[in-house]
Amino acid sequence: MEILQFALRKIIGGIPLILGVTFISFLLMVYYGPDKTYELLGKNPTAEQIESVRAELGYDQPFLQRYVTYLREIVTLDFGNSFSSGERVNSILKRTMPISLAVITPGFILGNLLGLVLALVAAYHRSGWIDKAIMGFSVVGMSISFLIVVIAFQLIFCSSYGLNWFPSRGWDVYSLSDYLRFVTVPTMATIFVALGYNTRFYRAVIVEEMGRDHVRTARAFGTPPAQLLYRSVLKNSLIPIITRIMFSIPLVVISGSLIIETYFGIPGVGKVTYDAITQGDQPILKAVVGLTAVLFVLTLLITDILYRVVDPRVSLK
Amino acid sequence: MSSASVAAENTTIAVRGRDSLWSKAFYKFRHDRMGMVAFALVMAYGVMALGTVFGWWANDWSEIRGGRFDPISADFWFGSNVNGQDIFARTVFSTRTAFEVGLVVAILSTLIGAVLGAVAGYYSGSWIDELVLWLKGVLDSIPFYLFVAAVAFAMQGSAYGMHVAMVATFWTTTGRLVRGEVIKLKQFEFVEAARAIGLPELKIVFRHIIPNTFHILLVQATIVFVAAIKSEVILSFLGLGVKNGVSWGRMLAEATYEVGAGHFNNFIWASLFMFGLVMAFNMFSDALQDALDPRKV
Repeated sequence: MEILQFALRKIIGGIPLILGVTFISFLLMVYYGPDKTYELLGKNPTAEQIESVRAELGYDQPFLQRYVTYLREIVTLDFGNSFSSGERVNSILKRTMPISLAVITPGFILGNLLGLVLALVAAYHRSGWIDKAIMGFSVVGMSISFLIVVIAFQLIFCSSYGLNWFPSRGWDVYSLSDYLRFVTVPTMATIFVALGYNTRFYRAVIVEEMGRDHVRTARAFGTPPAQLLYRSVLKNSLIPIITRIMFSIPLVVISGSLIIETYFGIPGVGKVTYDAITQGDQPILKAVVGLTAVLFVLTLLITDILYRVVDPRVSLK
Repeated sequence: MSSASVAAENTTIAVRGRDSLWSKAFYKFRHDRMGMVAFALVMAYGVMALGTVFGWWANDWSEIRGGRFDPISADFWFGSNVNGQDIFARTVFSTRTAFEVGLVVAILSTLIGAVLGAVAGYYSGSWIDELVLWLKGVLDSIPFYLFVAAVAFAMQGSAYGMHVAMVATFWTTTGRLVRGEVIKLKQFEFVEAARAIGLPELKIVFRHIIPNTFHILLVQATIVFVAAIKSEVILSFLGLGVKNGVSWGRMLAEATYEVGAGHFNNFIWASLFMFGLVMAFNMFSDALQDALDPRKV
């Protein structure tokens, strides 16, 4: 009951955020955005044809009314039809979202897990050569652009100039082995890019925790390293770790898959968003921005509940 | 750094205890060998960029001088691209583009972050603070690439759409850090003293509080610089990046069509030069943090 109340309060508190995000993106993308009237018309349109297309796109309505229409679309989760394909935005998203999740999830989980493990090892051997080597690698990883990694990995693993082990593009998944064939290289690229940042962040968190008295005491009692790191350090530094993981979810799901999916020709939300950007397909862009904002508020809420779960001292008020 | 040398350094600093944060930081930075190497490398890139401004080299980056994908030769040090343009000149000229994007975005977003963060921190809890926090929350929740696309649409393809979008989103981290620091600083006696002698509040914020956050601003500026250069690459790939010029991002975007056919020169040279600058800047930024932030681990 307490949690329910808390959730309700949080969702209401998130409304200004959603209003802000949708307002700014609406203003920029739709109101000041490209005029699609003439792209949808044939040659030499009559005044009535222009009029009817503008009415169809809603251009003839006043600003506020169009914005309210957009808000209603978010509440009812009904975003109309895509400009370029005419398909319903909902059915596009329904088709592409599972693919995006399938592409991004393994890399996201492994990238964070590996980052945590490396960070624990580095922090445990702080200032030793292991620490320096791990931190050196993570700075190198942070300095290579995502695009370079994607191009290089595709060259190395998917082309006749390299090992040519995996298909270079596409998404033809009907079985587990297909899935592994198509998902491996994108996953490796995701991990490679995320690892540097993750390791650095987690190491800073863990080093901070390792300096505390209770860890020193546990060490003095001769607790074995694995137990010390897991029980005394990791469990106590869960709050910043959860914060980072949770808050990267909305952005990783959209931005991360944008490049991966475009480059590997995977028909997920990222690819759809990319095409919508290049073609100015506003219904899709509106849907993606609106849903991301909602996702953000939900993330805020779940994060707060998780804080409570991992640390009972945190109160829900 | 071994623990012995850390201890030695700490005592040196303790001995010089009466110096300011900045002279201590300068001393520490001078003795950070990696940091100095990184700084020298950044300066070398800076000279490379300045050379194109003064017209010493690489100003023929758009000239069509050779054939399609000429190999590496005495004439074309890095080969030529699909149009027969010199990849060496394009790579070098891109350094200037990188510095332009990086500096513009870093300076402007640091300024905005400092002002908004300081004002929000000084009036923490008031409606001004709420407003700044709301704005930060909103900007952080719009997917970055979509925001850039939206700004680019709204600015009708202006060459500075990318800069505006980056400045508008990159100030938020700086703002958050400055706000936290200012909330701490405003409890200090020098602020109370300034208030007691009746200085106007804005003067306290700008003349007395913000100068005390310079160490945060400097480090944040270097971080934003790197982020801007890296974002430019992705944005160029999406067709939203630098217009009417050449950049590593545009070369890499061209390379995405070329590597499949075995033409690697654009890819290799743009990647190497960009990696060098970003790596050097990351290490420079790390050394700065080591020198300026006593709590950094």
